[in-house]
Amino acid sequence: MVTKHKFIFPSEGAWSDGRERLLCLDTGSWRVARPVLDKEKCNYCSLCALYCPPQCLKDMGDYYTPDLDYCKGCGICVRECPRGALKMVSEGEFADDSAAR
Amino acid sequence: MVEKKKKPKVYDYFQEKEDPYAGGVAWCAGCMLELTARFIPKVLGKDIVLVGCPGCSAPVLYGQNLGAWHRMSYFSALMTGVASSATGISRYYRKTGREATVVCFTGDGCSADIGFQPLSGAAERNEHIIYITYDNEGYMNTGYQRSSTTPLGASTSTTPAGTVGHGKPTPAKNVPLLIAMQGAAYVATATLSHLDDFAKKLAKAKEKSREGFVYIHIFAPCVMGWRIETDMSIQICRMAVRTNYFPLWEAEDGRFRLTNEVTSPRPIGEFINMVRKFSHLKEPDIAEFQQMVDRRYAVIKKLCALE
Amino acid sequence: MIAQRGKVKVITGNSAAAYGAMLCRPDVATSYPITPMSEVAEQLSSFRANGLMETEMVEVEGENSAMNVVAGASIAGGRTFTATSSWGLSFMYDAVQHAAGFRAPIVMVIANRESPGILAVSGGQQDIISVRDTGWIQIIVEECQEILDTVIMAYRLAEDHNILLPVMVNYDGFYLSYMTTAVEIPEQADVDNFLAPLKKQPARQMLEPGVALGCGTHGIELGFVELRYRQCAAMERAATKLDEIDCDFGEYFGRSYGGQIDEYRTDDADIIIVASGGAVGTARVVIDAKREEGIKVGLIKLRLFRPFPRRRLAAALKGKKAIGVIDRSVDFGWNCGPMYMELRALTPEIGIVPMLSYIDGLANLDITVPHIARVVDEVHAAAKGKSYQEVTWIPLEE
Repeated sequence: MVTKHKFIFPSEGAWSDGRERLLCLDTGSWRVARPVLDKEKCNYCSLCALYCPPQCLKDMGDYYTPDLDYCKGCGICVRECPRGALKMVSEGEFADDSAAR
Repeated sequence: MVEKKKKPKVYDYFQEKEDPYAGGVAWCAGCMLELTARFIPKVLGKDIVLVGCPGCSAPVLYGQNLGAWHRMSYFSALMTGVASSATGISRYYRKTGREATVVCFTGDGCSADIGFQPLSGAAERNEHIIYITYDNEGYMNTGYQRSSTTPLGASTSTTPAGTVGHGKPTPAKNVPLLIAMQGAAYVATATLSHLDDFAKKLAKAKEKSREGFVYIHIFAPCVMGWRIETDMSIQICRMAVRTNYFPLWEAEDGRFRLTNEVTSPRPIGEFINMVRKFSHLKEPDIAEFQQMVDRRYAVIKKLCALE
Repeated sequence: MIAQRGKVKVITGNSAAAYGAMLCRPDVATSYPITPMSEVAEQLSSFRANGLMETEMVEVEGENSAMNVVAGASIAGGRTFTATSSWGLSFMYDAVQHAAGFRAPIVMVIANRESPGILAVSGGQQDIISVRDTGWIQIIVEECQEILDTVIMAYRLAEDHNILLPVMVNYDGFYLSYMTTAVEIPEQADVDNFLAPLKKQPARQMLEPGVALGCGTHGIELGFVELRYRQCAAMERAATKLDEIDCDFGEYFGRSYGGQIDEYRTDDADIIIVASGGAVGTARVVIDAKREEGIKVGLIKLRLFRPFPRRRLAAALKGKKAIGVIDRSVDFGWNCGPMYMELRALTPEIGIVPMLSYIDGLANLDITVPHIARVVDEVHAAAKGKSYQEVTWIPLEE
């Protein structure tokens, strides 16, 4: 049987392949607010990084900062911080950032 | 400037620095499944062979045509066949002398309901598998329908609270206890608020899976299905432990032990008030719920007291 | 090169299936008892317990697990085997489809038994029909030696890198499963030799700890269509591949079975009877007797059911004046025999000729010499232009 279709799969069977590159969603575009850190208050306890579901709090050596590409704005880091060093700030406050991709 | 703390103990358990998942994947904001899924390879390593099934994990663990959202070896089973497919994989590796950690990762809908038979069978045969359930107390991916781990009284899309119905009329199955009663090599409960405890149990799981069947049951609230705020998930896990609604225990070769004993449990009302799927419950319902929680905890306590 | 003569043992059909599997050295096999194939599981367990095979035997808690266990082991890279019948096959239905979708080269024997729907502990081919659209290759055998031989050929077919489809080897439950006859057991070294070409192929995709390959991706739009197309294309290739393998087997072991179909006295025949399974043996006796009477009748043994051997059947049936098809099952869609229905689809190739459907042999009621003689007589009359009944339920017409 002749087909025009250019085959997507390199072999027989329904295999996905993550060896070279991964699919990725622009989950950063989901959020309506982002966590902002007051470095003065942070004691690097790492709880925010541990509890962040997408694991997007980047270790900066003695504090953490959210990866805005992937932060969904759930607010767990703010809620869990024992020192109140984080607070959620509306995305609207950062309208000059290129949140739109 | 504040004195900087050292990294918490839980980091000692991490085998992997790199997260094998892509940065942006399709789990809800505040999803405890996401935290669980990303946590597991940190402790178990990313060379595990994961076996999963349809459910909330599938949109991320499955590929999309050729594309993948993570870098782990993965087999997508049917809901009826998770523990059984994993058995086949594990047995083949054992026969060919290959050391591998085969990890089943499913929701409660699979473990407690449609996949319970093969789970029980694999446990009875003492297969060298780690079976991890993320318990969000319902079939969340398909629209928050009730499962047999949905608690008494919870309002779900198939047990809605209305003028006639008052939420799920029966209490939840205690799956980890059932599997422990089968004599599995290692069974444990864990949750996302107590990450040291979870990490320790995962490390133990890997070790024990070389001898026999391991079952870990994770309490993982669902933001959408339970109607909670996205930032409250960890708080709810913590409260579940503090009220003894979800006691943290382990059973190694049949010997039970509480790994986080709560000596002055909070009243169950404090947990119930945090979760809107219970918002229709009245005082008598809450009292009944408290009795159920106390009774269940008493059973675990008694088991722990056995020599 | 030719294989040595094997040892002859007097064994049941179930046992022959187990020997066939053992000789192919499966890595993982599962067992769950169901009449009439429980002995397959018992025999394999006995081989294992007595050190005659190194297969990991998994005594599962249900047939659904039986299929899932071998599917997992197969995708991890192993050679696998399982066995079941009727209700067990129904119970594993989701996993059966799944295994075919994954292109897991599993070999399963089925001792055919009546199902679905009406409880019966007796032979019939309804279980074959109930899974004809799962994407598995289905072969139906006639005798015990053929069970053993076809299991070996099934691995050559399933694991061929241009096929990679699971294979069901079907044999009559109660008739062949329990029939005790002399079966030649090939020597292990010869079976190893026969399967050796599989090792020289490019390796198929398999699960590897630490390697980012996932089996069972979501098929999305064209990706899904492509996967389906590949399944169908591989199925089509399997037909001629079976003929090649059967030829190779014949040259090496001295026994061959015709591949997709076996034609008996069909060349100069005016009319043809089509049958499958153990009934074929009885049919040959009738064909010979009728030939003595002067009726130019031939017999086609339908061995390959999926994929349907359309080309070889069309070639064999072209120019024949009437065809009678004996089915050991029913087609709910058309209230006739299912194999009859599929043969009717060859009408564009073979022309419109009288085709008669006979339903017989349900629930262990024998397909006897008189039954088949009646079939030949009626088909012969139809060829001469006499009016005929399209569908006859022989047990209800006695």
